[in-house]
Amino acid sequence: MGSVTRFQTEAPLHPAAAEFLGDAFARGWADPSKIHQESRKVALLLNEAKEVYCQHLGIRHEQINFLGEPSLGFHLGISGLITSNSTLYHSAVDRSEVFAVASGIRSEVLPVDITGQYLVPTGTHNDLITYQSINGETGIPGTVPLSFAGKVFIEASPLISLPQKWSSALWDARSWNGPDGLGILAIADKGWVNPLPHNDSRVTPGSFSTPLVIAGAIALENFVREFNEHESKIRALNSKIRNFLITQIGDVDIAGDLETALPHLLSFSLLYVDAQLLIDELDKSGYAVDSGSACNAMNMQPSHVLAAMGLLTHGNVRMTLRADHTELEVDKFLSVLKDLITKIRR
Amino acid sequence: MELDCRGMRCPIPIIKLAQSLKTTSDVRLLSDDPATFPDLTAWARMTGNTFTQINNETFDVRRSD
Repeated sequence: MGSVTRFQTEAPLHPAAAEFLGDAFARGWADPSKIHQESRKVALLLNEAKEVYCQHLGIRHEQINFLGEPSLGFHLGISGLITSNSTLYHSAVDRSEVFAVASGIRSEVLPVDITGQYLVPTGTHNDLITYQSINGETGIPGTVPLSFAGKVFIEASPLISLPQKWSSALWDARSWNGPDGLGILAIADKGWVNPLPHNDSRVTPGSFSTPLVIAGAIALENFVREFNEHESKIRALNSKIRNFLITQIGDVDIAGDLETALPHLLSFSLLYVDAQLLIDELDKSGYAVDSGSACNAMNMQPSHVLAAMGLLTHGNVRMTLRADHTELEVDKFLSVLKDLITKIRR
Repeated sequence: MELDCRGMRCPIPIIKLAQSLKTTSDVRLLSDDPATFPDLTAWARMTGNTFTQINNETFDVRRSD
């Protein structure tokens, strides 16, 4: 079996975080709320981790909550701000978790244009709107709902600053090569009410792992620093792929514009190409990519993000570019891709 | 002409449609694949061809000449 070049979203845990975790789990872990020496050390580390999150995510100490189940944050962050006379406005390209929360309350889906932007409704102070700071499939930033009169829930990213006005925000540590099973939920709105059954003032069920919280902070610091260091290189690789697709392959629908999108994600759809076949063939040639096409989805439905933007849903390839990808790797990949597409389209 | 692609999955209906349009300028496409409507929309934008949706499974497609 030859080596595989991965252009997939599932990034390995950042090495610095992995090193810390190995050590933490090997030594066992103390409860930071107790008063042993080891517990004090853990409490200190946890506090430092909170500082890192606050600084990088642009939130305050008292706003931060950790979640062992990141997806639960959509329910907590949205439903906690909804009252009986609220309407939830959400984007057609939001994650399925948002659609799931919306299905239980009065809501309205905001259609998007081909650039992924929605028209911001006026709303009332009771209403809530979602703002996705970056779409996870396309890398396209969402519309900042500046003129909205009501509350704002953000599916946030450490690479985009929070807008001035927001009510609740959710991050998934996987978006910065942090550990699986860690969400950060920040609540700024004083009117937020815990939508879960609860009998104390806790915002979350408290089911998070302390070692993961600390490892997540280590990964976050490294991710942001490395992203800033390598952004121009990744942007150049992304630009190279886009140019190649247009000039050397053709009949391709590329999501978004590199001027506005984040450079580490790239989604494109190839006309008359069966994504399943293409991805299998790429796999055999040693390349792993993702796809939003129906034939690749568990429910056999095309990507609702591509469909909502009016982009071609078949023949879709999604690539994640990282600092350790080389230009040579990308060149080789493009040459293999071109040959395969020529063969498939014949 | 009528092109019956019911039961076929994407991208087959669009591939067959493009093949048919080489010999005729008007095609009534029958397709029950959920990707057909969004894909026809994108395909029309990319190729300059036009279509009208008649019902859930029926699309009248016209080649741009």
